[in-house]
Amino acid sequence: MTQDQIIETLLDFIAADGATEEAFNGLALDLFAYQFENNPPFRRFSMTRERTPRTTKSWRDIPAVPIKAFKDLAMSCCAPGEAARVFMTSGTTKGGVRGKSYQPTLAVYDASMTKNFKHRFMPDRDTIRMGILFPAEDTMPNSSLAHYLGLALRHFGTSNSRYLLHEDGIDFARLFAELERAGETGEPYALLGASFSFVHLMDEMRRIGKSVVLPAGSRILDTGGFKGQSRMVELDDFYVELSARFGVKRSHCINMYGMTELSTQFYDWGNEACPSVKSGPHWIRSRVINPLTGRDVPRGETGVLVHCDLAHFNIVSTILTEDAGVETGSGFLLLGRADGADAKGCSMAVEEFMKATEGMMAG
Amino acid sequence: MTERAGYLPGFPAEEVEWRGLRFGRAGEPLEIAVPALTDAQMKELAARVRDAARRHLKTLSVARIADIIDRAIARLLDRGDPYRQKAESLLPVITGYDAEMVRLGLTGYLKTFRKPELNKFLAEDFANPRILDEFQPLAKGGVARAHGPDVLAHIWAGNVPGLPLWSLICGLLVKAGNIGKVPSAEPLFAGLFAQLLAEIEPSIADCFAIVWWKGGDTARETALLREADVVLAYGGNDALAAIRGRVPVTTRYLAYGHKISFGMISRATLDIRKAPSIAHQAAYDVVRYDQQGCYSPHVFFVERGGKVSPREFRGYFAHELACFEQKYPRRALTIGESSDVAAWRHQQELTAFSHPDHEITGGEAGAWTVAYVEDEEDLAPSALNRTVKIVAIDSLADVAPQIAPYKAFLQTVGIAAPPEELYRLAEILGQAGVTRISALGRMTAPEAGWHHDGRFNLADLVTLTEIEHSAEAFADSFAPYVD
Repeated sequence: MTQDQIIETLLDFIAADGATEEAFNGLALDLFAYQFENNPPFRRFSMTRERTPRTTKSWRDIPAVPIKAFKDLAMSCCAPGEAARVFMTSGTTKGGVRGKSYQPTLAVYDASMTKNFKHRFMPDRDTIRMGILFPAEDTMPNSSLAHYLGLALRHFGTSNSRYLLHEDGIDFARLFAELERAGETGEPYALLGASFSFVHLMDEMRRIGKSVVLPAGSRILDTGGFKGQSRMVELDDFYVELSARFGVKRSHCINMYGMTELSTQFYDWGNEACPSVKSGPHWIRSRVINPLTGRDVPRGETGVLVHCDLAHFNIVSTILTEDAGVETGSGFLLLGRADGADAKGCSMAVEEFMKATEGMMAG
Repeated sequence: MTERAGYLPGFPAEEVEWRGLRFGRAGEPLEIAVPALTDAQMKELAARVRDAARRHLKTLSVARIADIIDRAIARLLDRGDPYRQKAESLLPVITGYDAEMVRLGLTGYLKTFRKPELNKFLAEDFANPRILDEFQPLAKGGVARAHGPDVLAHIWAGNVPGLPLWSLICGLLVKAGNIGKVPSAEPLFAGLFAQLLAEIEPSIADCFAIVWWKGGDTARETALLREADVVLAYGGNDALAAIRGRVPVTTRYLAYGHKISFGMISRATLDIRKAPSIAHQAAYDVVRYDQQGCYSPHVFFVERGGKVSPREFRGYFAHELACFEQKYPRRALTIGESSDVAAWRHQQELTAFSHPDHEITGGEAGAWTVAYVEDEEDLAPSALNRTVKIVAIDSLADVAPQIAPYKAFLQTVGIAAPPEELYRLAEILGQAGVTRISALGRMTAPEAGWHHDGRFNLADLVTLTEIEHSAEAFADSFAPYVD
């Protein structure tokens, strides 16, 4: 298939009401063949896993590329120079190398995002007044989250929706004015942003003793979690406080789980219980595996998440994350970063070493 | 089954809150009940230990204390003894390590605390160990007496069986009252040892205690830190820094951070006859406690130019790891640890894409992994749990600049080299920050009296009281026999 055919097929696939296992499998294998042919580093990777399109009959057998590979290998089916947009990871690793996702067109990403967002965050209405706790897209052109939130604002925000986070931090005055206005007019309000921005916001509200009760129909979307942040926040505490500070029921506090290495997001149906069950639309499927064997763990046991996202067509569709999860009937529980920090002895661990020696190494 | 851990002299079990830590597999679950003291109880406990140490332990001679420890160790070395049997049966379940490896490891480790070995600890740190009993002459003139702390707090970490004994025994030798906090990963053994000591010598039963709190419970931790004269802590740098922030400024704080260790194999040792046995010893250092110790090797530097090439050595080494996997299988990993190992392995694979001379070899289901690389420039930890890098290098002396930036994290180097080269390398390595050099095959079994991280086990714990020569001479002038 050509790139244009792929894009057209995907847009139709996303627009459909659903997909059978067979249809998903067929397109996943077509994409594998396309990526195998046009993405040389991925072809080499697949060969080391002894997998070729010819020997692969199920999307479950497509080799899952560890997300680290997005940093080390220049993976793209289109010439990188022809990409309409490059999304990059935040680059916290040694040497500041950032994983790159080349997008030859944003049409598929945007179709994936808007259809799914409508279904999961806006099922009951077409638009809502929004406040975004994240920088605007033009200031962060390589951030997939900035683009995601920009789409949310443009497609689902009323005309007076706005960004509330700028170079010098959260614009508290404007934000509080927005919240008060919502309280007075009774117009539902949506606050969207990075999980940790909400922590900073609530710190400030606690400091000045502020809380609000947003009108019925208001909602909150947080994303990103707390890994790599300056302090640990218990999920349950987070949603307890979020609900209390803004007067939004926990069932209307939605967490989005997305990655730069994907073009589709997962959501929960609110956070009345933590961890919540996450699920995605019909063009993404997940497995829970033992990362050492690559095999699925028995249902109900903890493993590492693998996602097969058909919308991420230009690089690789099947990725191995570093996130722990448990499969449930309707999706998966996201348990945070899978690492063995708890059981260590007194031997230095990779992560600790990186942190301790930060800035010591050249390059 | 449920087993109680910890040791709390003077506290009836029913007055203490117990928490359950679960270990083992679904079929044979084991619950270790650990004590969660209140602030007030911790304070009371510290007062009791301090008082008992003053009244009992400090009145015993150091030789007598060594005798008591020796008797306890003899019991633990006796495979028919119920304490030993409990340790042998429960430690493999708690830590997940292979039972036979735990048994052999315990015996080897406990032997370093027999009386002659305890004397080595003493002799290493004190020219005259009787300085712990009474004033002894000093080389500079005058006399001095060494006092251990009234309360020595130990904050242990990790899951290597028996590790807490090292500092606990050092504390006893300097006659300190000891309160040790066990890690959740291995909460049992320190308490067993304490119970056994109390049984053997009831007069010192109140001079030590073994407690627990959940990692990160700063309130509980602070309650102990406030009571201690000296604090000794093991752990990662973040944890150690956090503890340092809570230790009162007048309290001595001895921190033992996580370390990185490695091996070196000289070309002079690499012939067909010796290479297999060197590979065996090197693999043994890896297999023992699955590299969880600070002295466990992450990397082996192998010199080019021998009759056996580094790449061939890699073959011998991988074979040995495969054999050990049959004999002492790696413990079952958590999904997080599996993920760490997988991530490391993937990273090596990805690097190999652009370095055709690199090779990754691994066991079934990732039971072990060897990454062979040529001329690696940067020292970095492996993912542990039997993941090792073999680095081919032109000259072992070239390792020095690679490791120099990591001075603060270096510990043991296992060396296979002829005597002259051993000394030459030791000189370079010492300058780079390495504090211990051992034979391959002995990296995980430091000898008695080892200066842990280059420091003094006992001398760091004590405070000297000196009577200067002038005071003696002055006193003489007031003696009844003065002329």
